[in-house]
Amino acid sequence: MIVKRPPMSRRAVLKGLAATVALPPLEAMLNTHGTAWADGEALPTRFGVWFWGNGVRRQHWIPNGEGAGWQPGAELAPLQGVKGWVSPVTGLEIKTATHPHHSGMAGILTGARYQQVGETRDTIVTTFAHPSVDMLAAAHFEGQTPFRSLELGIARQTGSDEGTSFLHLSHNGPNNVNPSEENPQAVYRRLFGMAQDTRVDLARRSVLDGVMGRIRRLQGRVGATDRARLEQHFESVRALERRLAAEAPECLPPDDPGTFPPVEGREQLAANNRAMSELLALGLACDLTRAFSVKFCSAGSGVIVHPAGARNGLHQMCHDEPAPQPTVHAAVTFIMEQLAVCLQVLRDTPAGAGNLLDHCSILCTTELSEGNVHSNDEFPILIAGKGSGRLRGGIHYRDRGRANTSHAVLTALRGAGVPAASFGHGPGRVDTGIGALET
Amino acid sequence: MHTLRRLIALTALAVGLGGCAGTLTVPASDGDGGPTGPAPAALAPTQDGGSFPDAADAQDGGASPARDAAPANDDAALPEPEDPFEPISPRLQRLTVGQYRNSLRDLLGVEVAAELEADTPLHGFAVIGGGELTIGPRAAEQYEAAATEAVAAAFADPAGRTGCAQPEPGCLAEFFRAFGRRAWRRPLDEDEVAALVTLSQGLGEQLRDPWGGVAGAASLVLQAPDFLFRVEVGQDGPDGRQLTGFELAGRLAAFLWQSAPDDALLDAAAEGLLDTAEGLRAEAERMLADARAERGVLGFFAEAFTLDQLPGLVKDREAFVRMTPTLGAAMQGEIQALLRWLVIDEDADLRALLTTRTVFVNAELAALYGLPPVEGPGFTAVQLPPRHPRGGLLGTAGFLAVNAHASVTSPTHRGKAIQNQLLCFDVPPPPPGVATNLDGVGGDAPTTTREKLARHAADPTCAGCHQFMDPLGLALENFDALGAWRTTENGHPIDARGEFRGEPFVGGRALAERVAATDDFAACQVRRLYRYALGHLEAYSELPAIDELALAFQADGRRFRGLVLALVSHPAFRAVGPLDEEAP
Repeated sequence: MIVKRPPMSRRAVLKGLAATVALPPLEAMLNTHGTAWADGEALPTRFGVWFWGNGVRRQHWIPNGEGAGWQPGAELAPLQGVKGWVSPVTGLEIKTATHPHHSGMAGILTGARYQQVGETRDTIVTTFAHPSVDMLAAAHFEGQTPFRSLELGIARQTGSDEGTSFLHLSHNGPNNVNPSEENPQAVYRRLFGMAQDTRVDLARRSVLDGVMGRIRRLQGRVGATDRARLEQHFESVRALERRLAAEAPECLPPDDPGTFPPVEGREQLAANNRAMSELLALGLACDLTRAFSVKFCSAGSGVIVHPAGARNGLHQMCHDEPAPQPTVHAAVTFIMEQLAVCLQVLRDTPAGAGNLLDHCSILCTTELSEGNVHSNDEFPILIAGKGSGRLRGGIHYRDRGRANTSHAVLTALRGAGVPAASFGHGPGRVDTGIGALET
Repeated sequence: MHTLRRLIALTALAVGLGGCAGTLTVPASDGDGGPTGPAPAALAPTQDGGSFPDAADAQDGGASPARDAAPANDDAALPEPEDPFEPISPRLQRLTVGQYRNSLRDLLGVEVAAELEADTPLHGFAVIGGGELTIGPRAAEQYEAAATEAVAAAFADPAGRTGCAQPEPGCLAEFFRAFGRRAWRRPLDEDEVAALVTLSQGLGEQLRDPWGGVAGAASLVLQAPDFLFRVEVGQDGPDGRQLTGFELAGRLAAFLWQSAPDDALLDAAAEGLLDTAEGLRAEAERMLADARAERGVLGFFAEAFTLDQLPGLVKDREAFVRMTPTLGAAMQGEIQALLRWLVIDEDADLRALLTTRTVFVNAELAALYGLPPVEGPGFTAVQLPPRHPRGGLLGTAGFLAVNAHASVTSPTHRGKAIQNQLLCFDVPPPPPGVATNLDGVGGDAPTTTREKLARHAADPTCAGCHQFMDPLGLALENFDALGAWRTTENGHPIDARGEFRGEPFVGGRALAERVAATDDFAACQVRRLYRYALGHLEAYSELPAIDELALAFQADGRRFRGLVLALVSHPAFRAVGPLDEEAP
């Protein structure tokens, strides 16, 4: 049994949310102050990563003013409506940088250097050496929700053979990934389309038990690397088996969101982002998972941001567009509008006496600071949400000593209630968060 | 120092210099440009793009690629191996999406609609990702859904499927023995068979549907790691650790058919026929004669030249009125038709892939290339005249478009693809902190792509690496980002001068002939096929085997079929190292 809470009254909440209209939570579920469940257990806090590739334009990114009185520049202006939940962190630096995109990706999400895959080519093919930060949170929340984590993607992934650091965000470990789903319909079916036939589910569990037996048997015949790979396979099958064994959460499924294929060769980025944001809010409100990531586009992505007037891929424009790179700037602004949509949907979804964004801690970041110079200093980071009261929200923290980005990541992790003693490895490791952002 | 040693030396030099900094010129080896294409249906091309450059040489067409093989180049004598070959430790090979779907098709005759996790290609190939990645939670869910869907379709007529009138244990055991052997690529132990029969019966009771129970046990077969991963652990023998006959059957079928072995191949394994190089070669010959071999052969080239991206090709519709939703697939179809003809039907000298004057066009491509209209749904072979600037892989719209941006060309990308895909020379990425804006040199706004890239040559920080890419791609500037011929860019005339290994030339055909004439082109294809066949990036200790295969390939007139047979019968195809004791 995974879902502990009797979800009787959540039906009503979710029914309202299907149209993303905020309804007040039913008071029967909560204590008299709306700050906890009626039985006294704390409302859940969720950890998320919202990621985009290729960095920002620095002069438009860094806010004016520090502390609570910050004012957004052009690229953060779209977040004005949720400013009270958003804390920009500026001036930090990746301490494990050797390669423009790969170092930033591994550096921000694992606090460590990447791991090279293969030694006989003079090129970059890498994976993460450690789990990504969302999986640290997932491990902490393990067993409390039906899904260990949820990975969403907005822009279509385009071809690359440079390794998992470049293609994927969420990692359980080296070459062990949780790919982002880019199709809202597939997310919908996964979250809300579970079979409810007890007899069939029992049979599926018997089959999965048999699969786990096969994995254990094969582990006895292979080397250490493959034993570890099979251990993940075992865990993956066991997670499915456990979910079938648990009572299905009584979430009324929303309407099928449909799909948003490219029109005339142009990706429907905004429509896909809105559909995904709403599914995310529903999944979190229904407590289907407490760890998630949204990959707007991958590291070094070639997404063509047509709404920003772009006609070529973002990565190439970062390389080629003459200064001051107005189209790159417009693309970053558009991407921040999409982040704003996601945060607004969370804010407009009730949770206890407040809203979902009150009960989230979301690390919003990218893999480098400026695409045209591939820089890893002055790293773009936002921490969104109030972490169920652990985070102040709405504070611009500026560091003047090029401190380690891992301080911000650890702050976000602890903001979700994950009792992490440290984050990162080697030169990327820290054991202190950013006090100014915490309550 | 022969070809591959030189490649390694180049790599070491580049690393030693911290990227590509420094001048690196390697004289092109001699040898002619390879054969030229025949004229299955010669048509006079129209030249709607103005006059063509004169650089393409006047070598005439008309010869069959099969008999026009060039003589072997230098280095034909086998060298003394400097270091002994050492195989690497075995790795489980997770099936690629293509291998998984082909296996279900060949095993059960079903096509599943269920979505599967996309492959993560590494070092150019999905199979290399298959040797590294594992099965995460989402993938396990997807495999369950796909297996459930597959058995639901396959057991629509359970008696017909199993050959059992009733689901009684003796007959079911026979069914699982046969089905399990195909799916797990080896005979099942009797206790494995018994477990599947017992599970069938238990599930049948749970579901109150005896045949449903059999289908459920069959879905276990398809979700087991024994199916989802190829197990190639080998066993110790007099010649070191070697794959067993059944493991070789699995490797052969994955390589040549991108699928599971058939019963004939498994029978051959059972009879010990795969234990000798001759036996393995004979089976490979049989498999190459089967239509399924197209999956393996075309699959290699599709990944080697990133052709799989073409159906989803994204181009700027304002810049290219000719861009349609079907054009990318047509570009892919042309190159597939070219490969089918040159590699499968004619088994020509592989250099003809670069130098042929035959193109394969449908109506859409004929219009793009400025050729007279062709009819019919398929691709028509058209022989171009000697001075026509198009021809060979580098002249296909597919190569030109996939290595360009959405609205503008990228000489850098095209040059990088030539170095990487054709010559196995890897150009590292720019280091952090280097400004990559192309604001132009000298104050004036650049008017052409060539001018825009001038900074790459002028700034030593850029030139160290870009000298290996831009001068190749600039020779293809007469082809726009869609691969159509052009003589001007933004009203300025195109300058298609290029430079390859220190020698200047003009235009795409001259470039193709220079690349084809290197030893490195043929050696590189050997190296990449080795990766594709074995499912991993070669270790340094495997280079002696690749060297041998490259020399044999050259001596044999660079026939792809001969290379495949040499590769599967080479000791490296069956050798594995010891199981690794500790995960790295």
